Amino acid sequence: MEIKYLTDGPVSGDILLNLIKTASGKTDSGGHMIFLGQVRADEITGKKVRAIEYSAYAELIDLEAEKIKNIILSEFSDVKSVDIVHSTGVVNAGEISLLVFVSAGHRHQAILACSKTVELIKENLPVWKKEIFEDNSHLWK
Amino acid sequence: MEVKVLFFGVLAEVCGTSFKHYRDVKSLGDLKLRIFDDFPEIVHYNFRISVNSEITDNDLVLKSGDEVALMPPFAGG
Repeated sequence: MEIKYLTDGPVSGDILLNLIKTASGKTDSGGHMIFLGQVRADEITGKKVRAIEYSAYAELIDLEAEKIKNIILSEFSDVKSVDIVHSTGVVNAGEISLLVFVSAGHRHQAILACSKTVELIKENLPVWKKEIFEDNSHLWK
Repeated sequence: MEVKVLFFGVLAEVCGTSFKHYRDVKSLGDLKLRIFDDFPEIVHYNFRISVNSEITDNDLVLKSGDEVALMPPFAGG
């Protein structure tokens, strides 16, 4: 199964399961690092976040995600693959909105590369978020 | 000639639309003035501009079919 960069709603367990199944068929990796971003029920000026609504520039997401993967693969020679899945639409508090799955020959580069991938996503992926509170008012972040 | 302008994030809300077509636009600078005319409140927001998915600060000459996006600071994750 080909993994796309964007998924509608929360990142499902099936996506992660598919990545694990794909990884299980490979024999060149000795370590996989997984990062899951989750929507927090933050309290802001007395109001609790119920959900985040994500929007994205889909065409640019593909280009920027490819760039991020290429940066990681060129910077970490032991990394074999980088997968990125980000939510669009509404993701409720407690649900997963970002998945990063990095496979490497050895754990050290898997851990470092995963961390750097998350930072690059934060800086470069054209995604916007609107925090929706329990009273349905909202705040753009 | 016609170009399409996309508004993302808070800008879509402020402008009340996620896109608008503009005709007979000579350059990106010209287009920006027309967008500011239509949606004066957007001057209060920070954003970057891309033309056909390339982020740019230059006053490019635009051609028919170009897609221009106004993008507030990214907030993924």
